[in-house]
Amino acid sequence: MFSYIARRLVLMIPTLIGITFVVFMLLALSPGGIGASLRVSGGQMEASKAAQLEAYLEDRYGLNDPVVYQYAKWLGRICPVKFGTRDQVTPSGELIRPPKSLVTPWMKESLYPDLENPEARKNEPIDTGSLDTDEKKARAYRTAARDYAKARADYIVATKELKHAYARYAKATGIEGAVDDDGNPRESRIPGVTIDAAAPSWKPVQAAAYKVLETYEIAEVARDRLSTIFGIKPFDEVGVPVLPGLVSLASPDLGTAFSRGRPVSDLIADALPVTLLLNLVTIPIIYLIAIPSGMLAAARQGTLFDVLSGATYVALWSIPRVWAGVLLIGYLANNQYLGWFPVSGLHDSDAASFAFLPTWTDGEFHRGYMLDTLWHICLPVACFVYSGFAVLSKQTRAAMLDNFNADYVRTARAKGVRNIDVVFKHVFRNSLLPLITMFVTIFPFLLAGSVVIEKIFSIPGMGSLVLEAITLRDRELLLANTIIIAVINLLALLLADILYALADPRVTYD
Amino acid sequence: MTGQTTMSNTNDPTSSSSPIMEVQDLAVSFDNASAGPGGPRIQAVAGVNMSIYPRQTLAVVGESGCGKSVTAMSSMQLIPRPPGRFDRGRIMFEGRDLLSLTEQQMLKVRGGDIAMIFQEPMTSLNPVYTIGDQILEAILLHQDVSNEEAVRIAVKAMDDVGIPDPMERLRSYPHQFSGGMRQRVMIAMALACQPKLLLADEPTTALDVTIQAQILELLRELQRTRDMAIMLITHNLGVVAENADVVCVMYAGRVVEYAPVFDLFDRPMHPYTRGLFRSIPRLNDSKHRLITVDEIVEDPAEYQQLPGHAEGVVPWWPDPPDGVKPELVDGDEYILHQIDDNRWVGCFRSTHLDSMEASPPSLDFRRPDLSSVGQ
Amino acid sequence: MTSKDEQQKTISGIDVMRGVGIDRAKDFWADAWDRVYRRPGAFCALVWIGIIGFFAIFSPLIANGLPIWLVQQNADGTTTASSPLWQNLTATDLMLLLGGFIGIPWILIPMKIGRGHRLGMLITLGILSGLIIVLASAVSGYFGDSGASRWAREIEQTAWFVPVSTSVICIICGAGFLFIPFVDRILPRTVLVVVTCLLTGLAVGSRWNEPLINYEKYQEMAADGDARAWYTLVPWSPNESRTDLYVVPPGLTVKEKLDEMSEKPFGDRQFIMGTDGIGRDVLSQMMHACRLSISIGLISTGIAVLIGVTLGALMGYFGGIVDLLLYRLVEIFMAIPVLFLLIVAAAVLPRNTYVMMIIIGCVAWTGAARFTRAEFLKLRSQDFVQSARAVGLPLRSILFKHMLPNGVTPVLVDSSFAIASAILFEATLSFLGLGPEGQASWGKLLSSATGVTGTFVWWLAIFPGLAIFLTVLAYNLLGEAFRDAIDPKLRKAAH
Ligand SMILES: Nc1ncnc2c1ncn2[C@@H]1O[C@H](COP(=O)(O)OP(=O)(O)OP(=O)(O)O)[C@@H](O)[C@H]1O
Ligand SMILES: [Mg+2]
Repeated sequence: MFSYIARRLVLMIPTLIGITFVVFMLLALSPGGIGASLRVSGGQMEASKAAQLEAYLEDRYGLNDPVVYQYAKWLGRICPVKFGTRDQVTPSGELIRPPKSLVTPWMKESLYPDLENPEARKNEPIDTGSLDTDEKKARAYRTAARDYAKARADYIVATKELKHAYARYAKATGIEGAVDDDGNPRESRIPGVTIDAAAPSWKPVQAAAYKVLETYEIAEVARDRLSTIFGIKPFDEVGVPVLPGLVSLASPDLGTAFSRGRPVSDLIADALPVTLLLNLVTIPIIYLIAIPSGMLAAARQGTLFDVLSGATYVALWSIPRVWAGVLLIGYLANNQYLGWFPVSGLHDSDAASFAFLPTWTDGEFHRGYMLDTLWHICLPVACFVYSGFAVLSKQTRAAMLDNFNADYVRTARAKGVRNIDVVFKHVFRNSLLPLITMFVTIFPFLLAGSVVIEKIFSIPGMGSLVLEAITLRDRELLLANTIIIAVINLLALLLADILYALADPRVTYD
Repeated sequence: MTGQTTMSNTNDPTSSSSPIMEVQDLAVSFDNASAGPGGPRIQAVAGVNMSIYPRQTLAVVGESGCGKSVTAMSSMQLIPRPPGRFDRGRIMFEGRDLLSLTEQQMLKVRGGDIAMIFQEPMTSLNPVYTIGDQILEAILLHQDVSNEEAVRIAVKAMDDVGIPDPMERLRSYPHQFSGGMRQRVMIAMALACQPKLLLADEPTTALDVTIQAQILELLRELQRTRDMAIMLITHNLGVVAENADVVCVMYAGRVVEYAPVFDLFDRPMHPYTRGLFRSIPRLNDSKHRLITVDEIVEDPAEYQQLPGHAEGVVPWWPDPPDGVKPELVDGDEYILHQIDDNRWVGCFRSTHLDSMEASPPSLDFRRPDLSSVGQ
Repeated sequence: MTSKDEQQKTISGIDVMRGVGIDRAKDFWADAWDRVYRRPGAFCALVWIGIIGFFAIFSPLIANGLPIWLVQQNADGTTTASSPLWQNLTATDLMLLLGGFIGIPWILIPMKIGRGHRLGMLITLGILSGLIIVLASAVSGYFGDSGASRWAREIEQTAWFVPVSTSVICIICGAGFLFIPFVDRILPRTVLVVVTCLLTGLAVGSRWNEPLINYEKYQEMAADGDARAWYTLVPWSPNESRTDLYVVPPGLTVKEKLDEMSEKPFGDRQFIMGTDGIGRDVLSQMMHACRLSISIGLISTGIAVLIGVTLGALMGYFGGIVDLLLYRLVEIFMAIPVLFLLIVAAAVLPRNTYVMMIIIGCVAWTGAARFTRAEFLKLRSQDFVQSARAVGLPLRSILFKHMLPNGVTPVLVDSSFAIASAILFEATLSFLGLGPEGQASWGKLLSSATGVTGTFVWWLAIFPGLAIFLTVLAYNLLGEAFRDAIDPKLRKAAH
């Protein structure tokens, strides 16, 4: 059994890689690519600021790297096995990585080999000895990190400027094919071009190159400083080392959401319990309604009850979730009509001040946190329940009928077993097996349904998070959601298989 | 035309008892699901008569769909109703009509007085319960014993049917057993409550030949030690020849011939029975090609060999060759007619036969080897 | 003689075993259809789907904001007559109308050729025509895009661009379809293909660019007495938005809502199902959305079945490593809820109908694959497959000619449910605002029922919701009926 579970868990890895790859590719291949919304969001700033921000974000999230490389990097962060220098974590939980390396100035060899940087590198060593307390170290790190980030951004913006300037120059002097459709210079065409230094459009290129060199030097210095400080470990190191300095184990890093600037794991930690709460309330209700009604229908096969309940199941099951949700909200929650239930959310706005249990003070009833929550999830759960229970009832009936005609039921009757015992002891016990398998269908169904239902009822769960991630094209958030949903789903399937093995003595996984 | 039982034949030395079960003019029909409403009903059994005596093995043979299982299941009221329906007839068991018993009374009979084993040992045991659970269930239903006592009985029953290491095996699940072992379990389960009659519906068809022989040997032995009557339903004439005392040949829901096993094999009288025997390949008879049943029942000459043919006693057949059918009396065209002391043949109900007294078959006969060993 | 009569009404068990009483005259599918027809639920479902199909084809002629006939008074006293409605029909509208007018009698009138065969011809030519339209719209979209490169835009300006590209598309598609043996003899096949290509080409070529439509122009002309205009039954187009007529309740006329309109000739126009938040007629949208719903259901399921059956057949037939690898692919799609993937894909890919069909088809194929795989695993070891292999038939022939007809039944029965769920997916995506743009859709209408204002507009919830519900229910009932009709036979065959 354990080896079976282990094998299943291992087999989950390629599946997870596959699914995240599909999602990643979809994002990357979409018009605008990853982070399209980031670029748009800079629209209101002044142009140079926007360019700076864009360059910074692209650099920060590696949006300019090849897609496959970006994906590999993302996998590397998700992977619990880390190589090289270990990351560090601040007391507040922020993850600190070793400083990123700098690329050398763009096309220096080909375009401006002789250009010199006016100022020498003033690489004054920092006195690490003076940083004796953790607090000092942390402060020093913060300063250095800010400096480096700024210097790096400047450098990237300068590089961009240089490219533009060169593109203008290439156009003006009529170098063929030097610029691509988007107006960026083609790097492959640059080595070997003869530069017409007299051309008026060369001046800006030179100026930009000068700026590039300057910012590069500054950034290098800042980076060195940062590296040094990082080297003295201002914060605790993450994970446990396996081969010191080479391999270590650490929990997966889900990254930071572009859109909200919060660690994705925090967002998920807030949203996941909500969705699980909905599901965990729903599933027992579904099974509790479905099994008896399905059994009854099977026991009364062909009667009016059977026919009517069969028709009801198909009808219920055909009601679109979105419609049910809208109608429930419209008629039961909206104040225009009945207004019995809250329209949105999971709690009242002042629920945080409620006691957990209902109380009765000053002759007034206070429903308390728990009842408040239950009251809020009534309609969403109803939305979840009706279709799931219809599917399950139908399955129960079919399974029971299958078993009613089974040979061993005939044997039991021939032994003189009472009818009711035949139904419960023999037929039902065997019908349980397909019902366990049904879990495989029900669970993803509910998970997917939560996207719609959480949207309709404005519940801050995983579904809402997914929608937010997808509308903002937030790569980190979306991938994290994908992987969490996939893991939950796969674990549920595994659970169903294990339950099946427990329920059916014929199935063993050894 | 439900005839009263008359004990007329007494040429057998051991004939002293009365039949333990008597099927009298049983007719069972089913709704035809595939024909839709208003379509023809399926008349699975259309007036069957037979009787079983204690310690007797009655073999019921006939081709698929002729109503053997339906007859057996009717006596346990195991026919699902609907779609099934008892049209007429009675099944007398110890002075009671089994068909008129309530469900409550039937529970006592099923598994207690009458036990049944089925053809498919692979699927006839509930896969999710242990063998022990299933045997104990039967014992606790019919015997007022404590749990430990029941376990002891179960172990004994399993030991009786030759299951090695019964105590251990009680805890096994059906899928851990081979087909032959499962059939033994079925037999143990059926016999644990000391039934007076065992309905064995093709108990060996699904098993391979050596296991078949073992199971039949086992049944014979158990019958000897427990004075049990067996209704043995089978397709296999070899099994009939070796195990049966009396043979009942059925076709299309009716009995076409009913006789002690030796008489039947020596001198089959109904064309269909003859056809059955001649269609069996024989090793020492390589010259002749095999003759099919159809060829025989389509040959008018075959119908004339019955004693009394001159008076108009013609073997019954659903669609006989031209010129064979005699003048019939109104109503059912079929009657089970006693040809001689210990032989009944299904005949057309001609004017001649209608005037004679109809008698349900009743043969208190046992093979000599069996009865001699029993004493 | 009553007893005799009674006896004739029964058959014996032996007859049953020999197959007497089972009607062998009909073939498998005809018999299944027969059983389906007999169920009242399934019959109603068929009728409903028929109604939806009718609107899918004819809604431009029933609900349109453009005058079907316009007689203009010229300055010099002469009149000119025209049909703005006709001029603004899209190529798809035209071909569907043509298909509707020819196809419905073609199917309904009794002929020597079997009905199934006729339907097959119609569907094949429909696919051909659809393919041409899709390709043309892709070409026009690519070249007409504002982000297209300069040479593309230059080519697009030239006079010969439209005729040449249309004929190239037509010739490529037509040549391909000549090889599909939907009619046995080559001559009639060629004629059919050429005629279809020609007609579609004309339709596409004449409606290359989407015209800008000004609905109010005609209304004003009529109001000023410059012209007389005749309108269709429902004189509103689905995308015709009059912001002064927002959220009009059902049954109200324009006059009742806007007093100043009472003098105008179109003041009597009624909004039978009201209007939505930006003043578009709901009934018209409902009718035009039928096309989206029906086509998404059918085409995406078609794609899914195609992918699923092909992969499932390969898995089931080869087993081993092929099975292992391909099954990982199935598992990937099973690991994540279908709706989730759909949302991701629909959000990032271009919002149009064709893309949506492809997305749903590409995500929802696992069911068909699993069914086919299971069937092929069973069939693989059967005699007729073994002998087909032994005589050295090519793999394609073994898989698709010998095994597929035997193994595809469960998939086909299941596809009715798949259509239902595809329609649900479309509605859900449209509800979430991820549906095709510029297309009337039930889901989109439904989503505006609880608008930003927080008020609940019942006619925006009831009508579209009911339409989705009934359509999904119809397909589910049909699926159930088919499954029940076929299941006992499958069981019988298995014995
Ligand atoms: N539950 C049922 N519903 C409908 N028809 C039934 C049912 N049970 C039996 N029958 C019909 O009764 C006929 C006789 O069946 P029965 O099982 O008695 O045949 P049999 O002689 O035992 O055949 P076999 O040798 O194959 O076991 C069959 O043709 C079958 O169609
Ligand atoms: Mg039988």
